[in-house]
Amino acid sequence: MRILLAEDDPLLGDGLRAGLRQLGFVVDWVRDGQAAERELRGQPYAAAVLDLGLPLMDGMDVLAAVRRAGITLPVLVLTARDAVPERIRGLDLGADDYVIKPVDLNELAARLRALVRRSHGQPQETLRAQGVVLDPAARSVLQDGDSVALATREFDLLHALMLNAGRVLSREQLEQHLYSWGQEVDSNAIEVHIHHLRRKLGSELIQTVRGVGYLVPREQPGKPAPR
Amino acid sequence: MKAPASLQGRLLLLVLGMVAGVWLVTAVVTWVDVRRELDELLDGHLAQAAALLVVQQVHDIEDDDDGVDTPSLHRYAPKVAFQVFHKGRLALRSANAPAAPMVADGERFKSGFRTLTIDGLTWRVFAAQGAKRNVQVYVGEQTDSRAAILWAVLRGTLWPMLAALPLLALAAWWAVRSGVAPLRRLARTLAERQPQALHPVVVAGAPAEMTPMLDSLNALFGRIAGLMDAERRFTADAAHELRTPIAAIRAQAQVALAESDDALRRHALEATLAGCDRATRLVEQLLTLSRLEEGATTPTGPVDLSALTRREVAEAAPRALEQQQTIELDAAAPCPVQGDATLLAVLVRNLVDNAVRYSPQGARIRVAAARHGGGVRLRVEDSGPGLAEADLARLGERFFRVIGSGQSGSGLGWSIVRRIAAAHQAKVGVARSSELGGLAVTVDWPG
Repeated sequence: MRILLAEDDPLLGDGLRAGLRQLGFVVDWVRDGQAAERELRGQPYAAAVLDLGLPLMDGMDVLAAVRRAGITLPVLVLTARDAVPERIRGLDLGADDYVIKPVDLNELAARLRALVRRSHGQPQETLRAQGVVLDPAARSVLQDGDSVALATREFDLLHALMLNAGRVLSREQLEQHLYSWGQEVDSNAIEVHIHHLRRKLGSELIQTVRGVGYLVPREQPGKPAPR
Repeated sequence: MKAPASLQGRLLLLVLGMVAGVWLVTAVVTWVDVRRELDELLDGHLAQAAALLVVQQVHDIEDDDDGVDTPSLHRYAPKVAFQVFHKGRLALRSANAPAAPMVADGERFKSGFRTLTIDGLTWRVFAAQGAKRNVQVYVGEQTDSRAAILWAVLRGTLWPMLAALPLLALAAWWAVRSGVAPLRRLARTLAERQPQALHPVVVAGAPAEMTPMLDSLNALFGRIAGLMDAERRFTADAAHELRTPIAAIRAQAQVALAESDDALRRHALEATLAGCDRATRLVEQLLTLSRLEEGATTPTGPVDLSALTRREVAEAAPRALEQQQTIELDAAAPCPVQGDATLLAVLVRNLVDNAVRYSPQGARIRVAAARHGGGVRLRVEDSGPGLAEADLARLGERFFRVIGSGQSGSGLGWSIVRRIAAAHQAKVGVARSSELGGLAVTVDWPG
């Protein structure tokens, strides 16, 4: 799950990035408000962690600008501003969660997962498709009750596809989900991961739409369509 | 006499005392005046009567009966007496007049006024002689009658006054009471206020005399409110400012705990330590500031600002280089100032630190210490973004951080710089650097 971290404090930003990476997130870190707005407009992040006291552009302004631009990704505001009016203003401006520093990394990760899940219309903590159960918190995958060992990228790829079940994701979109900036991506990396996933989970789960991309069909047609 | 504690009582006492005093003076003046007028009038009557007696010079004055019976026609009549002597012999007298001439013992007076005592009674006597000097007339009047008249006149004026006194006291009490009513209202307003209430006191219908007091009071409330507000803000901001370093320490420690890669764990642990150092620095700054706020320190001795600035710039240089910033120093000549070396070092450090901290990568920073117009000037300039006018004005408020300034500053540095400068009678100026385009801070020590 690729998220944007906007935090101007070098130590805290570094710590959050490292911690969220440990917990399976792909993290891009920006240190000022303008960069945060630019990245949020340009990249399909699953969620954003936004500090409020950002250089060049206040976090609140970033939030307002992003919401005005019609970007609906979940935004978690992480700030030292604990006054109730500030919290209310943050939530009113379109923050999905408002967390006061300091925060436990596991809690932050859990909140982010919950935000992403809800933003995809998934009320449950695990994702299911054709007998495959994916638990984002435990980073585990079960197929018909048996645990399946997946590499990090494979898990992230499956996670993205299952989150967007019923939607075709292009190779570029999948790359954006899996890699943060500056990471070298082999041109056939996605194909390789898909190949591995199919080998481990069977070829039925992930379908190829030729010339477009890949999709995991929705489990129950009666369920509300994700996004 | 102990002064009454109540203003109302004091005013009442004062007003009534004054009224009584004025009345007393009035009475005395009336007494003196009436007595003089009365004396004049009655003396006139005596003289008139004597003149009548002299002029009459009754034909049968030769009659040897000296006891002419004069009718008592008026209640004052017994108090008036007369004697007519013809050729030394008593020719005529009133019933109450003695046979001997109404003169004092051993005195022979023939004309004019005398006041004398005869048989224990005090008389006012007028003596007159006929033209041929063989008629001697004495007309006398007991002075107690005059006193009685005087008393009657005074009674006439004093009684109404005395009767009016309670009414006057009541009126004065009411007047004083309503006069000090605004004071009572103020007292009630103050008593009813919540202890923490610091809004201005408003007293309806406060007289002009109370306005300065109310103004001072409200100004005091304003100052206290400002102080308490600053104090509250300080506490809130201090807590707020400590949140970020603590959050960083927590995050890094958690990363270190969970990290299996040695290099990454080491990095996280080092970052944890750096976070602790930063929190420590923040706490130190808070303490410095609170110590500075306790009272101004007095300069202790000569300090070479140039040497001190060189040391501080050398200390800050690695951080500047990390950000590819160019830091220039111009502090060749010694610049002696009076002061506390430790505090002055804190001042210079904060200024240089701010310049490094708030300037972007690759910025230029120039620090200069030089003699300037008899004094010493420290100048720290940078090519950073500078500050907007509004932000320039707020600089130095505790914890005021320019929003979007980046970096982990607490905003305390400025407050500290200003305090230390004030303690050294140095002036801090903030402006836009004409050469580098960023912020230019000058600290001037007078010569």
